[in-house]
Amino acid sequence: MALNVSVAVIGAAVRPDVEDESQSLEELLYAVSQDALRDAGLTIEQIDGIVVASNDQFDGRAISIMMASGSVGGVDRDILATPSASEHAFVMGVLRVATGQYQTHLIVGWSPTEASSLAEAQRLGNDPYFHRRLPQDELSAFALQASALEARRPGAGEAAREIAAANRVGRAPRSEARPRWPLEPDMISPPVSGVVAMVIASESFVRARDNSSPAWLRGLGWATETAFLGDRDLASAPALEEAARRAFSEAGLHDPASELDVIELTDATPYQRLIVLDALGFSSHDRWAEDVRSGRLGPDGPLPINPSGGVAAANPVFCTGLIRIAEAANQVRGKAGDHQVADAALSLAHAASGFAMTYQSVLIFGREPGEKLQ
Amino acid sequence: MTATRVGIIGIGQSPFTRRRDDASYPELVREAVVQALGDADLGLDDIEAIVYSLSPDAMVGIGNAERLGIDAVGGRNKRFLRINTGGATGISSVAAAYYHVAAGACDVVMTAGADKVGECGDSQTVLNKIWDPTYERSLPLGTITMLAMSGIRYMHKYGLTEEDMARVVVKNRHHASLNPNAHLRAEVTVEEVMKSRYISWPIKLMDCCPQSSGGGAMILASEKYIKDHKLDAVWITGVGHCSETYYIGDRMGKGFTADHADAYALRNSFDRAYRMAGITEPQKKVDVAELYAPFSNTEYHSIEAAGLAALGESIEQLNEGRFSIGGEIPVNPSGGVLTANAIAVTAMIRVAEIALQLFGRAGGHQVAGAKCGIASGNGGDHQFFGTMVLEA
Repeated sequence: MALNVSVAVIGAAVRPDVEDESQSLEELLYAVSQDALRDAGLTIEQIDGIVVASNDQFDGRAISIMMASGSVGGVDRDILATPSASEHAFVMGVLRVATGQYQTHLIVGWSPTEASSLAEAQRLGNDPYFHRRLPQDELSAFALQASALEARRPGAGEAAREIAAANRVGRAPRSEARPRWPLEPDMISPPVSGVVAMVIASESFVRARDNSSPAWLRGLGWATETAFLGDRDLASAPALEEAARRAFSEAGLHDPASELDVIELTDATPYQRLIVLDALGFSSHDRWAEDVRSGRLGPDGPLPINPSGGVAAANPVFCTGLIRIAEAANQVRGKAGDHQVADAALSLAHAASGFAMTYQSVLIFGREPGEKLQ
Repeated sequence: MTATRVGIIGIGQSPFTRRRDDASYPELVREAVVQALGDADLGLDDIEAIVYSLSPDAMVGIGNAERLGIDAVGGRNKRFLRINTGGATGISSVAAAYYHVAAGACDVVMTAGADKVGECGDSQTVLNKIWDPTYERSLPLGTITMLAMSGIRYMHKYGLTEEDMARVVVKNRHHASLNPNAHLRAEVTVEEVMKSRYISWPIKLMDCCPQSSGGGAMILASEKYIKDHKLDAVWITGVGHCSETYYIGDRMGKGFTADHADAYALRNSFDRAYRMAGITEPQKKVDVAELYAPFSNTEYHSIEAAGLAALGESIEQLNEGRFSIGGEIPVNPSGGVLTANAIAVTAMIRVAEIALQLFGRAGGHQVAGAKCGIASGNGGDHQFFGTMVLEA
């Protein structure tokens, strides 16, 4: 890892589908933050800094992270906030610990569903003159992405339908939304409320405490596409390719598909899974049909993908990316519970946010720290 | 391995003004970016990562409005993220850019942003939405009423008068008259301030910052990059943040957790930055300060939180000219937030102005011989505080 200090995940708590309406958001943030601290064996007094992420439009508040101060233990502490994406909170926390000026950090992200219409909240993310009236929300952007892929790669639709069918096995169809062509009802997962908290620490802190289950960050890449969909080739993901190039290079992976043990990726639609696997080099369009049919691109393949169920199982829109990071880290920590992949030693988390995956991040976790800057 | 040493090598800022009908929001960002790149003699391809500086989306009227600025900062396929800590966003963004370099992740990072506060309709209507929708929004709380209550408490504890508040305005307007980038540059008298209408007692119209449009950008680099390219730099030697509670009710009434007169979390933040910079006696070390004070009364507790005066003693010292240009420790020689406030970048401009002072490039408001300066930013409901120490 090309940072001055190696950083590890030492605690995580994920609530990807909060159905209990008896708790306020503040109570939920407190509970999940405390769960992550307990998982790390720490108390809030041992936390040097906090990075939080939420979305003002989803929360219905301006500067929505303000409300979290007390719940996450931020009073008298050092808080930063990254409203661009929940995964960016993790990136920011890692950079801060890697300066050597912090030993530990708490990272918290959340995504509520109380807004009367998340689609309407998403439409506010368009420029008011050209795109807001289309109307463009995340689902319509995903549909444009899907149709672009179908146009570019014949067979993408069939592969996407097979992925959706595989995602559905053992689960009742969840979506009641009327999707946009070419998406079909069982290709998307309805938004749910979610909260996720993670604790990260420096190598010296982890070594001093003899923490037995750290997931070391070995590679970290993040990049952005441009915002206007018309300026992009939606059938490809150059920002993801750039993020992956950096992450693989830092982690020293030459053949990631054979070296990795498990992947948690952010695919709000099965078309996104195809785009992501293409960009990561784990499958290519001429192999999609074969790879899908053989189960190679599923949770039980030789390189298990989304053993947690992924976005298809629970879609807390804004904090989905941070949840993928927590799930990938937990696999290496041996703490993934029922969906633990046996002997997972090297994992990849992919996070994506915004219209048709504007922000792309790739993280590699391992059981040992990587190389530091000399 | 200790953190990489980080310097400031490029600065861009708009001339702040009431409206910029000639420039869209992304164009304002780009204006500052072009200036900063020109200042550092770099191109967009030299920038490895971007920290986007933007406080509430609602001020721009676009959700995740940082996405509209991606092309303005040349962010495509680069490392890019946005910071928001309310009014402190600008200094938090500089800090975030600092962390990119200090962590060893990058050699050259840019932070940039812009705001069109005067064109958003009414900033206080937007800022009312930062409070709890059930308990506090309906009071109605705004940033002016919130800090009016702080002013009243400060009056009660330390004997502040409305004339004392006016004297801060007179000082900062004089400073702004020397700064071509300030928004309110006309000099005023104590009498004129006293005659301006009340907005929320004891704060009058002239005690308030303006709603400004403009952009800001800064480029930070590692010591190695600066030396390899033989660049001129000033150094970030101290960085701190500290937060208070969210609920205003926790700062007032019986059993408050923090005294609303004082800015104790700002003091803690400064303590962290000073500790990192190895400064034990700020009054002896600091030559110049740019402190985030959007209302005249708040400059007093900011000066005290920065350790430039003991609690309650800043009033007399300010009246004696200690914090004016030509005084011992000039505070807000640019005119400060009282004379220009484009919220997304206001706290970044505090850092930028200190950097210009240490470069010796502050022009008409230059503080002679400045070698060490401090900057601060306040955000949320007087909740998030960011501080920085810069040295030549």
